[in-house]
Amino acid sequence: MSDVASGQPSRTDVALDRLDWPVRGLSPRARRVVFAYAEAMYADEDEKGAIVPASPAVCERAASWLDHSVGRASGDLRRGFAVLTWLLEMMPLFVIGAFSRMSRLPIARRVSYLEALERSRFGLFAMLLVAFKVPTSVAVFEEGEELTSTGFDRPSTTARRRLPTAPERAP
Amino acid sequence: MSDLPSGEPVVHGRDLSGPFDASCDVVVVGSGAGGSVVATLLAEAGLRVIVLEEGPYYRPEEYQRFRPSEALRRLFRESGMATAFGIGQTPIIAITMGRAVGGSSLLTGGVCFRIPSDVHHHWVTDLGLDALSERALEPAYEDVERRLAVREVPAALRSRSTLKFVEGAEKLGITMKPMRRNAEACEGNARCNFTCPAGAKRSVDISYLPSALARGARIVSDALATRILTEHGRTAGVEGRLLGGAGGRPSFRFVVRAPVVVAACGTLHTPLLLGASGVGRASEKLGRRVTLHPGVRCVAMFDDEIGGWDGAMQSVYSDDFAPEGIKLVGVYSAVNVLAAGMPGVGPRLRRMAREVKRLAVFGAMVHDEGGGTVRTGPGREPILTYAMAPRDLARLRRGITIVSEMALAAGAREVYTSVTGADPVRTMDDALALERSNYDARRLECMAFHPLGSARAANDPRRGVVDPDGQTYELPGLFVADGSILPTSIGVNSQVPIMAMATRIAWRIAEKFRRIARSA
Repeated sequence: MSDVASGQPSRTDVALDRLDWPVRGLSPRARRVVFAYAEAMYADEDEKGAIVPASPAVCERAASWLDHSVGRASGDLRRGFAVLTWLLEMMPLFVIGAFSRMSRLPIARRVSYLEALERSRFGLFAMLLVAFKVPTSVAVFEEGEELTSTGFDRPSTTARRRLPTAPERAP
Repeated sequence: MSDLPSGEPVVHGRDLSGPFDASCDVVVVGSGAGGSVVATLLAEAGLRVIVLEEGPYYRPEEYQRFRPSEALRRLFRESGMATAFGIGQTPIIAITMGRAVGGSSLLTGGVCFRIPSDVHHHWVTDLGLDALSERALEPAYEDVERRLAVREVPAALRSRSTLKFVEGAEKLGITMKPMRRNAEACEGNARCNFTCPAGAKRSVDISYLPSALARGARIVSDALATRILTEHGRTAGVEGRLLGGAGGRPSFRFVVRAPVVVAACGTLHTPLLLGASGVGRASEKLGRRVTLHPGVRCVAMFDDEIGGWDGAMQSVYSDDFAPEGIKLVGVYSAVNVLAAGMPGVGPRLRRMAREVKRLAVFGAMVHDEGGGTVRTGPGREPILTYAMAPRDLARLRRGITIVSEMALAAGAREVYTSVTGADPVRTMDDALALERSNYDARRLECMAFHPLGSARAANDPRRGVVDPDGQTYELPGLFVADGSILPTSIGVNSQVPIMAMATRIAWRIAEKFRRIARSA
């Protein structure tokens, strides 16, 4: 079981440098909600077409990055994310008519719920999803298999472009 | 200069173990495109300068190794999650601002435009700002462009993403022009807004501040200025708190005494400092009519592999639609950020991410009317509300249609617009139908990189906060030198315009300094 799911402090390596403040911005409950959201947001299909939740490592990466980033931001933003996380958890009833919190929905229903938020004609629902999707996806697709899957041909997002070598300069 | 409690040229405020009280000739609050220019030119003129920066100090060789997520957390204000609160039918607008030594100049695409001639003409003929004419600013533009080594982006640096849109534009008769940038040594890593791994971008910490430090200027990072000090109705310095407490909370108090204070905290934060010091109330213009240049991007899927990450992040633009208030701009982003913006949830998002190599990106930016208002928030950050004018919303929708048409003309299979949850555009009929459809504006994902105009320059204290030389009408000795003083929206990237305005202000301060100091 992952750190977030267990409610224990994370051991995930969000690189902190000498000028970073190791401040957490999400409560343990909010981290569990973000973890559950990440399981659905980054879910994939198996060979039979069944939805498989994202791996704990991917979910932990998303939750940890958001936690540390919100922690580094202002108190206003931290309070804002506390409200947004609560809304994300409590809205399934109003969006897909499910009498359940988001984190307790089966994975397929959770994916349906997030899809319904994204496709909602009501702009505030779409805003709620975007508030989580953009920041967590930056972390998720930045490394590992998720980065490789994009076809990016450099070893990391910090690597420099492979410049073509002029024939006369080639060894 | 006295009593800075460290001999280092750049003092990490968070490491100081007690309060300090220092003095100098000029204290500059903020180290971005405006503050660094003023600090450097005044230090070069022989004045004793202290720069106070709220954010941390990272050396270029440190931040050039940051992954995008690390850059967001360490260099962007609010970890890159700052947003304007839309009022009424207004999209979500993410605001990009830097918070580190070098400010937002660390995070730009390096694009360098001068203020368009028609905007200067409007300032002179309609607003009476002869001092801000194109001719008056020419020497300042030249000085800035020389220091930044501004050059046209060579065609060889255009990415395949950009080339696709250029091809589409040519088929539609839209003229694309090469951009000018401050990245002469660019090798095309296409992630400038998360710092350049090749160190090619000449942000102000590279192009200006070393000269200031060599001439004795000092920089204090992690230093939040909270109030302008006054004595006998004149500026006397700045007070604030070091951000050295747990989690970056305020720790020790500091005071820097100087007869001249230059506020260069940026369009959203300068009004807070001025307002806390009682400046800007007379005109009731402080924090009002902020413009943002809201922009949208469209992502086009092609059948062949594009690999748009090889090439300059921004290399072309079109001003064919400038009369309609729309500017088309070539743009790309770090690959993970691009994946983050793809539509879909779960398996669909995964499938879309696997297609990133087939994507091309282009954007449209609107020359907006100015519906923003900066207010003091419950905490340390300001609250920016923005009521988008219906005309500007229509321009954004039109911009999406134009960019979609370019992509389709270039052979795109599908175009994913900035409208959250909308179906992909596959034909021009789809694009026009989307433009005409009555969707909730809050489904539109917008970005804004150029907040401007919260403490506007004007000839009359009833119409603005500062005079054309940047000095506040209400407090002699207090100057403003950042994007907040621009009298109107300018419709182009604001870095060089801010730097040119700051250059002119620095030259005026240098000329007048002895007189100001004597009065003080």
